[in-house]
Amino acid sequence: MDLDFSVITDHARFLASGVGVTLLLAAVSGVTSLAAGLVVALLRLYGPPWLRPIIVLYIDSMRAIPVLVVLIWTFFALPILTGLTMPPFFAALIGLTVHLAAYAAEIVRAGIESIRPGQTRAAAALGMSRAQAVRRIILPQAIVRTLPAFGSLLSVTIKDTAIASVIAVPELMRQSETIAGQSFQPIEVYTFAMLLYFLMLFPVTRGVDRFYRRVAHLGRS
Amino acid sequence: MIFDWSVVWQHRDALVAGTATTILLTVATMAIAVPCGIAVAILRMYGVAPVRAAATAYVELFRNLPLILVVFWAFYVLPILTGLGLSPLATGLAALVLNVTAYNAETFRAGINSIRRGQVEAAMALGMSRAQALRRVVVPQAVRRILPVLASTWVSLFKDTSLVSVIAVSELSYAAMQVRAQTFRVLEMLTAMAAIYWLLGYPQAKLTDWIQRRYAVSE
Repeated sequence: MDLDFSVITDHARFLASGVGVTLLLAAVSGVTSLAAGLVVALLRLYGPPWLRPIIVLYIDSMRAIPVLVVLIWTFFALPILTGLTMPPFFAALIGLTVHLAAYAAEIVRAGIESIRPGQTRAAAALGMSRAQAVRRIILPQAIVRTLPAFGSLLSVTIKDTAIASVIAVPELMRQSETIAGQSFQPIEVYTFAMLLYFLMLFPVTRGVDRFYRRVAHLGRS
Repeated sequence: MIFDWSVVWQHRDALVAGTATTILLTVATMAIAVPCGIAVAILRMYGVAPVRAAATAYVELFRNLPLILVVFWAFYVLPILTGLGLSPLATGLAALVLNVTAYNAETFRAGINSIRRGQVEAAMALGMSRAQALRRVVVPQAVRRILPVLASTWVSLFKDTSLVSVIAVSELSYAAMQVRAQTFRVLEMLTAMAAIYWLLGYPQAKLTDWIQRRYAVSE
């Protein structure tokens, strides 16, 4: 088997733009799904009772449907329903956020529920309102405790951006497919793409673990 | 806007066949990836140094790669590496097995490591052999910690089978997208596809929750 990796250097800028889109999509959808997940979890725990079954249905549905299906539905079917066409990047952002926010919400909920109820009562006894107790006592500890889970969610987010290639988002996976198709050298291109993804993903999981070990004491009570 | 939902019923044969392939892929992948995962975990924990390093490298590599890339890579590289003309289904299965085996190996390793060493020592102090201690003390406890993780890996795997559609394995999502391309009933077919995944996946997600509550370990 003769491998010729000059195809990589020839298309270095094209691949680099793919890495850029992958990182951008992962960063933006990471932030939006974290924010949405926090809101969903708070609504589930402290919101009106009639909202709870709806939120549980949403979360469990996202655990049941593949992210590929969510992305394809958002890109191809949603515009028919709404009459608005979306650029692929935007559709991917919406699809990934809707999907990952459910997982983020479950992580936040587990973190909040791990804080003993005695702390909320103690905060109330000190004269805090419920909102104050959540903001100043519960969330700061819960966020630290959930860091490892959010680390793996971030790595899932980066991996899931590769699925956005099926709706033609020009991220690394899509760019690799294009080059592999043009150059007829899929082995070199996909093997190099593997290396790039590994280099993006491995430091994330390791970095979050190390960061968590430094701040873990802040979450203990 | 006029929707024609009869298109879903007209193409029920394709959807049923796709659903069957999805289920087959899930079951076959897990059936292969559990023994392989145990083997890799054992190699990683008890193998000689180079074997241990290779097993660790394999697990870390495949846990840090997007599955869709592994599927494409397997599609082009496996025929050359093995010299076999593999069908898309076999290639998809191989990619899924490579991925899930890495996760399972980590699950088994963590499960066995979670049992404190003192328990084996206590069992040996009571006169058990090392093998007896493993069989009677470590494994029964480790299983309780491994099962819930395997259950959520199962649900992920069920969803991830959709990714082999990119190499034309006619599982549920590929079948639905084929009908969509033939009939141009985009919204109807994609919604039907999502609904079938939901109908199959929702009970699995709920079952996973139940297993996790049932086997919850409190220390």
